Amino acid sequence: MKFINLLKKELKDLLSAQTIMGMVITLVIFYGLGTIMGDVMEKAMSSSEITVCDEDNTTFTNSVLQAIENQGNKVIKVSPSDQSDPAKLMKNINSDSLVIIPEGFTKTVLEDKKQAELKFINVMRNSSLSGTISSEKNSAVIDIIKEAVSSTLLLNYGLSDNDITTVKEPVLVKDITVIKDRSAEISYSAVSSLTMMQNMFLPIVIFILVMFSSQMIISAISTEKIDKTLETLLSAPVSRISVLLAKMLAAAIVAMLNAGVYMIGFSKYMNGMTGGAIEKISSSAEVSKMLSSLGLQFAPADYVLLGLQMFMTLLISLGVALILGAMVNDAKSAQTLIMPIMLCAMLPYLLSMFTSINSLPLGIKILIYLIPFTHTFTATDNLMFDNMTIFWGGFAYQVILFIIIMFFAVRLFTSDKIFTASLNFMQKSRAKRQINSDR
Amino acid sequence: MPVLEAKGLTKQYTKVLAANDVSFSIEKGEIFALIGPNGAGKTTTIRMISTLIKPTAGDAIVNGFSILQNPEKVRENITYLPDEAGAYKSMTGKAYLNFMAGIFANDPQMAKEYVQKAEKICGLGERLDEKISGYSRGMIRKLLLARAVMTSPALAILDEPTSGLDVINALEIRKMIKELAAGGMSFLLSSHNMLEIEFVSDKVGIITGGKLMVTGRPNELKERYNAANLEEVFERVVKEHEIH
Ligand SMILES: Nc1ncnc2c1ncn2[C@@H]1O[C@H](COP(=O)(O)OP(=O)(O)OP(=O)(O)O)[C@@H](O)[C@H]1O
Ligand SMILES: [Mg+2]
Repeated sequence: MKFINLLKKELKDLLSAQTIMGMVITLVIFYGLGTIMGDVMEKAMSSSEITVCDEDNTTFTNSVLQAIENQGNKVIKVSPSDQSDPAKLMKNINSDSLVIIPEGFTKTVLEDKKQAELKFINVMRNSSLSGTISSEKNSAVIDIIKEAVSSTLLLNYGLSDNDITTVKEPVLVKDITVIKDRSAEISYSAVSSLTMMQNMFLPIVIFILVMFSSQMIISAISTEKIDKTLETLLSAPVSRISVLLAKMLAAAIVAMLNAGVYMIGFSKYMNGMTGGAIEKISSSAEVSKMLSSLGLQFAPADYVLLGLQMFMTLLISLGVALILGAMVNDAKSAQTLIMPIMLCAMLPYLLSMFTSINSLPLGIKILIYLIPFTHTFTATDNLMFDNMTIFWGGFAYQVILFIIIMFFAVRLFTSDKIFTASLNFMQKSRAKRQINSDR
Repeated sequence: MPVLEAKGLTKQYTKVLAANDVSFSIEKGEIFALIGPNGAGKTTTIRMISTLIKPTAGDAIVNGFSILQNPEKVRENITYLPDEAGAYKSMTGKAYLNFMAGIFANDPQMAKEYVQKAEKICGLGERLDEKISGYSRGMIRKLLLARAVMTSPALAILDEPTSGLDVINALEIRKMIKELAAGGMSFLLSSHNMLEIEFVSDKVGIITGGKLMVTGRPNELKERYNAANLEEVFERVVKEHEIH
């Protein structure tokens, strides 16, 4: 009986209006996230259109294409005039993936009985998971073609046993990947796995950093308020703005130190985990040359931009945390205050991991980009894939937002709002209950 | 010129009129105590004078500076000890004094003098080298009091200075306040313990429901209301105002 009594009290304490609100918001966000992701995945998986440029144009190649269509795929034939620059070519035909069957393909396979070369060009637009999924889909396209060539060979042209290797592996695929106006002879999946490796740990670092520093400053300021050391400071002969700036700057410095440690630790960990694999690829001069010819390798200037971007996000979260922390009067509300910041960081974090935010429907895209943290999560992609307008636009937005936040923070500290305003949902609801029960 | 002159201080919170036209003055070397029950508006009045909250109406002049026009100057002339205040728990008592001295002093020499003075006043001795997280309530109170007077402000504002202290310590604190006042420092105190405050204050102001009912020397008031102590005075003051 006594236990039930205790349990009831603890449950009531934990299931406050705030926590329930938090749960509802989380649910709504994940529901929304699920819907968005579902659409994205469907789009990535569905269309089985194959854009083909058949330069050989023989009975054999036509029957191969026919075989592909027979399997339920749609073949779109194009015949571009200028093929010298793959990047321009892809722009002209307005497609993200193209198979080129070169002239002499039939002759090589049927007469020379050798592996014939096939060009496979893919456009990479972002480094997210959905991009990788579409690349999987693309290599499936190649398998379909290989299969079609094999079965066409077997069905229509009686081949001897020593032709079997040709039948098994009839084509040699020459992969070309296009990023913006650059191209290199490397497969999409190789590029995407490399960029994934490069980009995966950064969002984790940002997420942890935002959470950590927000929590730090919320607890710092709310403790000062609860202990009334803030009242002492603000009644002392010291500029109130310097009190505020000292707090912000200290938190920013600690957060940056943390960021540095995480970065070093994570890169060591990643190196260890992927063992020689990544090193082998990266150190092979050819691949790294290709990556840089695609514009994927970060130049020092890019790192500076990225660092700037991260610092901006940090400052914004610190500013918001400072304002939130200054409005509470008890430790428990201070803890739950991290919730809105966490949700704002989590949404773009998860989205940017699984899909490209730039490719979402416009309305959702704008909503997501209104969350200032989003700009940091998309920064690596924007820098890599040269979406500089979005990068600088986001940066400007963050700066403006930060100025607005600081304006409010300064107002809060230099007026008496810091002692009279309060964000105590719990106390308010209690007060209301009190009034109701008084009636 | 009085050290403090409160002129019609009024604070209207969303629902509560916490201070209603409060006026009084404190001379140099005088100890003034605001007394009244819980929720009377003592802390609200004190916070307005400490420049922490803005009055809805009225003004207060501290050493010639208005809390409205010149709050920065006012802050140079006061120290404020909040009710139930804590200190930075991760610091040692000594570190706390050093930090606060650094906030008030304009040069290191001055800061050093402040700290030396505080060390003498607080009477914590060796224990100043311990972390504040291990201090008792009374120890923290003494540390903060020492901090509040170490800079020899024109006006020290102490909200419930002896709350949480035992009889001996409370007595010590009262003695200390009297000595410092004799040296020319002025004090604004608050308390809901009307019996205790009688011994320390030169003048008291009885406040209830945000209204300052009456001010005067304890003896004068006791005579005027024909009461044995301030508690009885308070009782009669409240009754009198209800009748009117
Ligand atoms: N920030 C605030 N917002 C709204 N009302 C407030 C606020 N601070 C104080 N009050 C109200 O103002 C009134 C006076 O409060 P105040 O703290 O000045 O009383 P007090 O005399 O110091 O009492 P105590 O002896 O309990 O410390 C109370 O009714 C209180 O509820
Ligand atoms: Mg009070």
